[in-house]
This record gives sequence, structure tokens and C-alpha cells, in this order.
Amino acid sequence: MNMRKSWSRSVFAVTGIAALLAGAAGCGNGSSEGTQASEGLPETITIMSIKEMTGPVSFAGENSTKGIDLAVEQINEQGFLGDTKLEVELKDASDSTQEAASLATQAVSDSTYSAILGPGLSSQASAISPIAEKGQIPVVYYQAGSDGVLVGDYTYRVTAPAHSYYHIIGDYLAEKKVETAAVLYTSGNPTLTELGENAVPGVIEDNGVEIKRSDTVANDTQDFTAVTSEIVKADPDAVFLLLLGPQNPRAVSQLKQKGYDGEIIGMSTMGAGNLETAGEDAAGVVWPSNFSARSEVPSTQEFVKAYQEKYGEMPNNYAAEGYDAVWLLARGIKEANSADRTAIQEGIAKVAAEGFDGAQGPLTFEGNDVRVEGVLASWDGSEEVVITLGES
Amino acid sequence: MLEILINAVTLGSLYLLFALGMSVAWGTIGILNFAHGSTFMFSAMVAYFVVQTVALPMWAMVLLGAAVGTVLSVLTQALVFNLILRRNPDLLKAEMQIVVGGIGTASVLLAIAQHYTKSVPFGFSASTFKVATYQLGPVHISNVQLVILVAALGLAGLAAWWLKSARAGLALRAIGVNPEVASLMGVDRSRMALGTMAAAGALAGIAGVLLTYYLGSIAAETGDSFLISAFAAIILGGIGSVAGVVTGSMILALAETLVVTQLSGTWASAVAFGLIFVVLLFLPRGIFGRKEVRRT
Repeated sequence: MNMRKSWSRSVFAVTGIAALLAGAAGCGNGSSEGTQASEGLPETITIMSIKEMTGPVSFAGENSTKGIDLAVEQINEQGFLGDTKLEVELKDASDSTQEAASLATQAVSDSTYSAILGPGLSSQASAISPIAEKGQIPVVYYQAGSDGVLVGDYTYRVTAPAHSYYHIIGDYLAEKKVETAAVLYTSGNPTLTELGENAVPGVIEDNGVEIKRSDTVANDTQDFTAVTSEIVKADPDAVFLLLLGPQNPRAVSQLKQKGYDGEIIGMSTMGAGNLETAGEDAAGVVWPSNFSARSEVPSTQEFVKAYQEKYGEMPNNYAAEGYDAVWLLARGIKEANSADRTAIQEGIAKVAAEGFDGAQGPLTFEGNDVRVEGVLASWDGSEEVVITLGES
Repeated sequence: MLEILINAVTLGSLYLLFALGMSVAWGTIGILNFAHGSTFMFSAMVAYFVVQTVALPMWAMVLLGAAVGTVLSVLTQALVFNLILRRNPDLLKAEMQIVVGGIGTASVLLAIAQHYTKSVPFGFSASTFKVATYQLGPVHISNVQLVILVAALGLAGLAAWWLKSARAGLALRAIGVNPEVASLMGVDRSRMALGTMAAAGALAGIAGVLLTYYLGSIAAETGDSFLISAFAAIILGGIGSVAGVVTGSMILALAETLVVTQLSGTWASAVAFGLIFVVLLFLPRGIFGRKEVRRT
């Protein structure tokens, strides 16, 4: 973080000296060169990144920021925008909706900012979107899966909704000869409720599987003993867990403690190391995901290699989404050949119409919302792996 | 039905383990410690970081949790609550400020834990203790479930006996009834308060470690969820009564379990807290609450 500060100070210093020199030259010969590094683009384009760097979802904000930093580094090193440098100013909104809205208002009113990299919390994103639409500044969100986040031309999202790729579980259900299932979901979260009530039951029934039970838990449920006992009594071939990240290892462990030995199928909230504490109990748990570092898709592997070189660790989905958000924005800026907000929005729209290969694999867009092929991830007891059907 | 009952008693034991220390401090020295949840979580977190480097058995982890809880609680008492009490001769005002002081302390501990864990759940899979499950007829019960039941009821029994029969326990109860008279009788309130907070912190630490074993993992925010349930259990049972906190915890757990199994988990808290509200309409001091006399 200090390195970034001193780096940005240097950029400002260089920019300031360049501006002074340009001004002096202008006074001397009457011409006006301005600060354009390449046609239509200034020397620096500044983006505000509003993330959850502290608080209960800091794990998402921190990982997303790592992906963002990597993408910015690559874009600047490659000269993707010519001599123009992309600069990201990180702002911590923690889990405060008011703080996120206030930062977005600041970005709208300060012409220094050309775009916003939005937060992952739906509550914050829903507050930012109307401000961004009214102020006509492009925002690219990650996560933020609720309705009401993408409300117009200026709001984009790089995390595909789970219902758009969840169907890939179908072949797995057939291979494991799953005939009956139970669904357990967190009812206090709108995304999980939509999945638990409609999307996932739809996929299950489309594959000829009978749903024996459907149960709910609250956002703050800690103990799953009672509900897992009831599920185990129903003896389903598979249990679908659609829960908040920290709830997953508890539910899995308690299902196993109750003697359940069938299939456990989850969603992307099981990734990002959330099953680590369940250890061996979670071995064999499977979930459709928008990203896995083990995926063999070439663009994913390029990202994983660069990420490992920079950070010495495997990236998770939040890092991949942060990375893709910056590349979408950079492609939009290149297409626009301008730092003007409306031009960038139009540029992003063109890029979205064509799609591109990102950290999450080939990315296409439905409106302003990304779509991915999805991968079937699994926990092998110590790490996340990708399942290739027919081999298990 | 037997399994539902066992599950309810287990959940009640979780609440009891958590609420016991909080109840003793509130009912005797009058300190409603809102940092109790964070002390619980922080003790488990420290034990987690230690077990990542040295594989420890459960008993060592419990002792470690108790030690961390004791230190945190004593520091909270010495650096926060004591300062508030010294500056506020008016006990009613001081009580309100203690609540705010507790929330402030909890926020600091929570922020530290969120920083170090990144809010990713942590557990004790590196410990030498392994969870084993036994099938007793139609019921599945685990070794850690048995430990929780024995620890909760054993510690509650011990606390009840100590408050009723030990000399220090009687002095503590005297403070709970009337601090001024207790002081005139030679009871050193500050020392007793520090001792009580140390014991409450140890109980929070033990609860943190045992609950992490049972749940498999907890996150930095887990303490807050338990705090609300524990608060409700203490109010329902009656402030200052160990029998009350046992009863309150079990009723709350039974209500929640019945709602989860017969209706829906979405309604668990709403129905359980609704029931508590109804009980309090008829028994305003809680089931075992004593009549309070405030002198002006």
C-alpha cells in the first residue's frame, strides 16, 4: 500500500512537471500540446475502486483488489493504452452502504475519475447504481448478485449469476445416479433465496431428480444440528447447500456428524478457502463455480500463472473477478480512445457485445451482465480441484 | 422426537456455555458485558493460531482459551469498566456507559480478528482431537456433543454451588443485592469485580474453544450472533440466577429447534423471541428473577 502511495505521488509529480513544461512551451511558441499521450487519451486515467477492505466481507475486497492490481500492472507494462497509464485509487467502504454511496457521489462530482470499480455487496451496489446512472459514470461491479444492481447503461457486472451456469451439475447428477435430493438455503439473502426457491430446484427437477425436503436457515444460523438431523432422516441421495460462505463448513461438518454419506452439492460460496476448516469432512463436496484456478482454459491459466508469480499463492474467484473487471474497463477505454465517461461507457458496451477471454474463461454478456461457461469444482480434503466427468 | 430433544439440549448447552459467564457478571457485579461475544471469539481465534503451529489436544486448547478469555476480560474490566465506574458515582448512568464501553471493546476485538482472519472461518482441524460419531439406537451423537453437554451442565452446577456456598460467592451475591451494604460489611467490590470478570472471561474462552470444536468452525462475527441469544436466555431465566440461565437457554433452544424442524429455519428467531416476549409479559423479572429494590 505504501509502495502504491509513493508510486502515485511520483506519477502526480511527473504529471505536474510535464504540465508545467507544456505550459511553458505553450507560452513560448503559441502552440498547445496539452497532456494527451496518444490520440484522445490523457497521460493518466484515474479509476475509483470502492471495496470492502475491512469488515465482515474484507476477504472479498482484499482478493478482488489483488486481481485489480495485477490487471493494472499488466495493462501499464504492456502499454495496452499506449502511453496512457491506468491508475486505481482504492477507497474502503467496509460494509457501510452510506460510505459506498458517499464515495460514488464523490467520484461523480470529481472529474478526475473516469469510472468506478464497484463493491461486491449488493446493498452497496444498489445504492451506488442510481447515483452512477444519474451522474453518467461507468461502474463495473463484481459479485453484487441482487436485482436492482444493473439498472441502466452505465452499470456492468463481471460475476455471472449462479443460475446461469448451475445447469452444469446435471451431468454429475446423472453420473452419480442421484434420484432424490434435499435443498437447504439461507433465506435472509435475496440471491440465495432465489437460487433455493427457483433456480436450483428447477435444475434438479429438469434432471429427473425428486426433491424430498427443502429447508431454510437464517443469515445468523450457527448450529445446523436440528436441520441436518431432519435432512439425514429423509435419506436423500444428494443435499444441495446454498449458504453464506462461513456457514458452509459448519453445515457440511454437521451433516457428516449425523452420519450422512451421500452427495453434497453447493455453490460458489464454498470456494475461496471456505471449506478448509471442514478438512476431510468436506472431501468430495462438489459445486458449480464461475471460476476455478485449476481450470485448464488457457486464459484462466495465463491469469493463474501471473497471479502466482506476483503473489505466490493461488487466486480465488474474487481475484479473478477483480482482474476481469479492470480488463473490461481497459478494453472499453481503448475502444473509446477517450477518458470521457460516456465514451468509455459506449466502449464497454462494444466490448461486452463481442465478449473476451478473461480470468474466468471466455466471457460473454447478456445485456450488461457477464456469462461464463462455469466449472465443476470439488474439495478433495485439502484443496480445491476441478472435476472432469467420466473420470471419477 | 428423542433426537429433536437431544438436539435442543445440545443447542441449549451451547447457549448456556456462552451465557453463563455473562449472566454471573451481570447478576452479581451489575456489569452487562457486551464484549463477551468478542472475548469468546477472540479466545478461539488465538487458540486457532496456536494450533496451526503446534498440534494440541482438546484439554490444552480449552485451557488456552480460558487463559486468553481471562486476560481479555480482566483487561476490559481494568481499562474500560473500572474507569467508567470511577468517573460515575451515579450507578444508573455508569451502567449505560458500561454497555457502550463493552460495545466499543467488542468492536476493537472484532476489527482485529477480521484483520487477521480476513473473516474467513477458522477451526481446529489441526488439533489432535478428532470428532467421532456414535449411533445410539435411532440417534447420532458425537463425542464433542457429549463434551459440550457435560461441560455446560457441569460448569453451571459449579457456578451455582460456588455462588450459594463459597464465602467469596456469598460476598459476590451480597454485592448483587446491595453494593453499598456489602461494602460496609467489608466486601472489596473492586477486587471481587476483577475476580468475577476473570471467571466470566475464562468461561467465555472455554465456550469459544468448545463451540468451535462442535460447530467445526466459527468466524470473527460468530460471537455477535450468540450474544443476542445469550442475552435473551438470561432475561428469560431471570438476571442473577444460574438456574434461570440454564432454564432460559433450554427453553430458547427448544423453541428454536421445534420451529426449525416443524416449520422453517427462517422463523426460528422470530418465533423464539416472540415466545420470550409472551413469557415476560406474565413474568417481567424472568422465570427465576429476584425482586429488585432500588433506593433513591
